[in-house]
Amino acid sequence: MSKRALPSLTHLQFLVLGVLRADEQPGRVIRKALAAHGVRRSSPAFYQLMARLERDKLVEGWYEQVTVGDQAVTERRYRITAEGARLWARAKSFYDEVSALSSAVRWSDA
Amino acid sequence: MHRTWVERLGDWLPEKARRDLFVPSLADLTYERLVRERTSRSALARVRVRLWHASAALLLLAGCLRLHAVDRVRARMSRRARANHVPRKELTVMFARDVRHALRMFRREPAFTAAAVLTLMLGIGANTALFAVVEAVLLRPLPFGEADRLVLVKHRDVATGLSKQDIAIGDFIDLAARQQSFDALGGYGGFASTLAGAGETVRIEGVALTPAAFALLGVQPAMGRFFTADDVAEGAPPVVVVSHELWRTQLGSDPQILTRSIQLGTTRRMVVGVAPPGFRFPLANPTNVIVPVRVPPAAPANRKESWVYGVGRLKPGVGIEQAEAELAALSRQFEQEFPQQNKGSLYYAESLRDGMVGEAKRPLLMLLAAVGFVLLIACVNVGNLLLARSLARQHELATRLALGAGRGRLVAQMLTEALVLALVGGVAGVLVAWRLGPALAAMVPQAARIPGLDSVGLNVWVLAFSLGVSLVAAIAFGAVASIGLVRESARHALAGQRRTTMTTGARRAASSLVAAEIALATVLLIGAGLTLRSFANLISVDPGFTADGVLTVQVLLPPGRYPEQAARSAAYQRLFEAIDALPEIETTGAAAVTPLTGNNWTAPLVRPEHPLPAGERPPEVGWQSASAGYFRALGIPLREGRLFNAGDTIGGPQVVIVSDSIAERFFPGESPIGKRIVLGDDTAEIVGRVGDIRRASLSDSPRGDLYFPFERENGPGTTMFLRTAGDPLAALPSIRTTIRQIEPGATLFETRTMADIAAASAAVQRLAMRLLAGFALIALMLAAVGIYGVMAYSVRRRTRELGTRLALGASRADILALVMRQAATVAIVGVVIGVATGLSAARAMSSMLYGVPPWDPLALGAACLVLTATALAASYLPARQASRVNPAATLASD
Repeated sequence: MSKRALPSLTHLQFLVLGVLRADEQPGRVIRKALAAHGVRRSSPAFYQLMARLERDKLVEGWYEQVTVGDQAVTERRYRITAEGARLWARAKSFYDEVSALSSAVRWSDA
Repeated sequence: MHRTWVERLGDWLPEKARRDLFVPSLADLTYERLVRERTSRSALARVRVRLWHASAALLLLAGCLRLHAVDRVRARMSRRARANHVPRKELTVMFARDVRHALRMFRREPAFTAAAVLTLMLGIGANTALFAVVEAVLLRPLPFGEADRLVLVKHRDVATGLSKQDIAIGDFIDLAARQQSFDALGGYGGFASTLAGAGETVRIEGVALTPAAFALLGVQPAMGRFFTADDVAEGAPPVVVVSHELWRTQLGSDPQILTRSIQLGTTRRMVVGVAPPGFRFPLANPTNVIVPVRVPPAAPANRKESWVYGVGRLKPGVGIEQAEAELAALSRQFEQEFPQQNKGSLYYAESLRDGMVGEAKRPLLMLLAAVGFVLLIACVNVGNLLLARSLARQHELATRLALGAGRGRLVAQMLTEALVLALVGGVAGVLVAWRLGPALAAMVPQAARIPGLDSVGLNVWVLAFSLGVSLVAAIAFGAVASIGLVRESARHALAGQRRTTMTTGARRAASSLVAAEIALATVLLIGAGLTLRSFANLISVDPGFTADGVLTVQVLLPPGRYPEQAARSAAYQRLFEAIDALPEIETTGAAAVTPLTGNNWTAPLVRPEHPLPAGERPPEVGWQSASAGYFRALGIPLREGRLFNAGDTIGGPQVVIVSDSIAERFFPGESPIGKRIVLGDDTAEIVGRVGDIRRASLSDSPRGDLYFPFERENGPGTTMFLRTAGDPLAALPSIRTTIRQIEPGATLFETRTMADIAAASAAVQRLAMRLLAGFALIALMLAAVGIYGVMAYSVRRRTRELGTRLALGASRADILALVMRQAATVAIVGVVIGVATGLSAARAMSSMLYGVPPWDPLALGAACLVLTATALAASYLPARQASRVNPAATLASD
C-alpha cells in the first residue's frame, strides 16, 4: 500500500457528506438520516457540526422559505461543495482499499 | 414583522450561537410545530402542541448556551488539553461542585435559608395546588373516547339571550337528519327513579340515552353490551345498563347479573350490560342506571311535544366553529319552515368540557393568575434576599474575579444556588399542594356540580408544573441576584476598594424590585376588593321572596300508584293537609321548580286579543306550576287578585297567575286580572298578580313568570316548600314520619333549607372572593416583609453615608424623613403601576362582577391606601434605626 494520510473526515462528517452527495437537503432531513444510522444529536449540536463543515468549505448553506399548510417558515438547506465531494471520495476510496486489503493480505511482523 | 417571544429571547444569545445554532434550530422547531398543529384535531391537542413547542424552545435556548460555552472553553485550551478534554463531563463536575457549595452555604445560614425556602414553599405550593384543581377540571382528558370531539348542542332564544339545553323533539330529529358536521347526533335526558330490591326502595338517578348517544361516547361496557336499535324498536322488551358502582353496592357484584331483571320505578327491566367503573354522563351527575330512549323516525306535527338534550361527535377534520356555522344555518332554515315555533331560535355547539364546567372556567383561570402573582412576589422577595446576600459577598466575588475566575462562572454559580433553593422550595411546595389541592376542591359546594373535583391530586402533570414553576422561579430570582453585581465586583477588584456603601446599581435594582412587589400586590388587592364588593352586592340582592325559615323537601310518590292526574293531586292534597297539621309547620306549599337552582323552563304567552302575525313565534316567559301555599311559604307578595284555591282543579276553568314583569309587558297601563291568555286550543283567565322573583340565580334579572295551578299540573315527584315555626331542619323527623304514615311507599330526598339553596346560588362567587382575598392578604404580607427587608438592608449598607450626614449637621428627623421619603417614592411608583395593571385585569374579570364597575373607585382607593400605608409602616422601623446611627462610631470604624 502506498504511503498516504488518513482521511481528514470524521465518521459523522463522512455520513453527512454522504447524505448530501445525492442531493441538497434541508437540515432536518439530514438529521433524520443521521438518526436512521443511530446518530442522535440535539438540534444545536447538529447545526454546530454543520457550521464547522461550512467553515471548512465542505458544504454550503442557505435559508429557503417553505410552506406548511398556509404558513411560511424558513429552513436551512445544504449542498455539498466540490471540496467536500473530493474529500468524501478520498475517504471512501481509503476505506474501500482497506476493506480489500484486509481480506487479501496476511499481516506479519517479518 | 411580528417576532415571537422565542425569537426575542434568542436575541440575548451571543451572535455566533444565535446565527449558527439557534436560528436554524428554531426554524426546524417551527416546522415541526406547524406539522403537528395541522394534524391536531381538537383545541386541547393544539394547546398541548403549543406547550410542547414552548418547552422545546426553552431547552433549545439552553442547549445553544451550553454549546457556545463549551466552544469558548475549548478555544482557550491548548491543543494538548483539547485532545484530553471531555467538556460534557467537566460541566457536570462543575455543576455538582456548585451544588455542594450551595448546600454548604445554605447550611451555614439557616435563617436566610429558612426564610427563602418558606417563601418559595408558599408561592410554589399555592400555585401547584390551584393548578391541580385546574388540571382536574379543565385540562384532564374526559373519560370518553376522543372526548375533544364531543360537543353539546344547545338552544338560545335570540330575543332574551336565554340559553337552554332542551331541544324540541321535532328540531332534534331534523337536526340529526340534515347535519353534516357530526358523525352522529345523540339524544339524552336525566331522570330520577326508584330501585326496588330485597331491602328498602332507594332513589336513584339515571340517564336515558339513544343508542347513537351511547355509541358516540366511545366507552366499552365492563360486562354485557350497550343499546342497539332493536332495544328502541316498537314493542321491544325494556332493558337497562347499570353502573359499575350500583352493580357492586346494590346488586351484590352478581356475576350472573346479565340474566337478571330489576324493578326500576314501575317497569321491570332486563339488565343487558354493566357500565365501566366511574362512568358518568353527564359528568357532574351520578349515573346509577342508563335506559334506552326512542326518538321517532320523523318530526311530529307538534314539534315541541317533548324535549331532549343533544350530544354529537364532530367528524374528523371538522372544527367546532364549522359545526356552529352549520347549526346556525339549520336554525335559519327552521325559522323559514316553522316560523311560529322557531323564530328567534338559534342552535349552537359547545364543547362537552365547557358545557359541563359551565361558569367555573373563568373564575378558576382568574384564581390561577392571582396565585401566579403571589409566586412572583415570593420570587421578588427571595431575589432581594439573594441580592442582599450577594452584596455581602462583594469582596469575595471581587477577589475571585481578580484571580481569574470568569464572569460567566460566577453567574453560573449564583444561578446554581438559586436552582438549589428553588428545588428545595419546590419539594416543600409539592408537600403543601398535596394537602391544599384536595382541600381547595372540597371548598367548592357540591351543588355547583363541577366535574373532576373529586379527583384533584398530584399526578405527573401537576408535578411537572411544579418543577417548571420552580425552574422559572430559580431563573427569575437568580437573574435578579446576579445582574449588575458581578460587573460592580470586577470594578471593585480593579480599584482595590472595600466598599461599605450600597452602589447605585444595586440600590436601583432593589428599589425596582420593591416597586414591582407593591405593583403586584396592588393588582391583587384591587381584584379582591372588586370581588368583595361584587359578592356583597350579590348577597344583598332581594330575591323577591323570603328564604329564611323555609324547608324544601323533594318527594317521589310510589311508582305506578297514581298514573292519573286527579289521583296524584288527591294524594298530594292528603300529604299537604297532614303536614300542615304538624305544630312545627306554618304553611305548606308545592311547586315544580325550585328558585335559584338554575332552571330556565319557559312557556309561550299570547293574548287572544293580539293574535300573532303569520310566521311569528310567540314570546316566551318563565314557567312554573305552584300551589297557593308556595306563594305564602316563600312570602311572594300578592299584588292583586287572588292565589289558587280548591276550585282550580281538573274539571274547573283554566286559570293562571302572572308576575309583575308579565303584567307590565303584556298588559301595560291596565290590570291583568280577568284578562285571558291563549293556552293550547283554549284560553286561561288571569286570576292573580304576584311579585317577580329571581328565578335561576341571584344574579338573574327578575323575569316574568307564568304560574299554573299545581293541582292541575303535577308529576309523580314534586318539591314541597314548608315554612316552619322554628329551625326548619328540626321539623324534618316529624315530616318524614307523617309522609310515611300517609304514603308508605313515597321516597324523600334532597331536603335543604331555602336559605342553604340561596347561599349555594352564590357559593362559587363566595369561594372566589375568599380565595382572592386570601391571596391578596398573603401578597400584602410578603410585600411588607420584602419592603422591610430591603429597607433594613439598605439602611445597614448606607450607615457610613447616614453617619456622615449626621456629622455634617443633619438632624435625626431629617434622616427619618429622608429614608421615609425614599420609601414613599418607591411605594407610589409601585402603586401607580399596580393601579394601571389592575384596571386592565379588572376589565378582564368584569363578566364575573355583579353591580360593580371594573373601575370601582372604592376598591381602587382602598387598595392604594392599604398598600401605601403598608409600605410606609414596613419602612418606619428601618427609618427609625437609620436616625439612630452614631456618627462618631461610624466614621471612626472607617
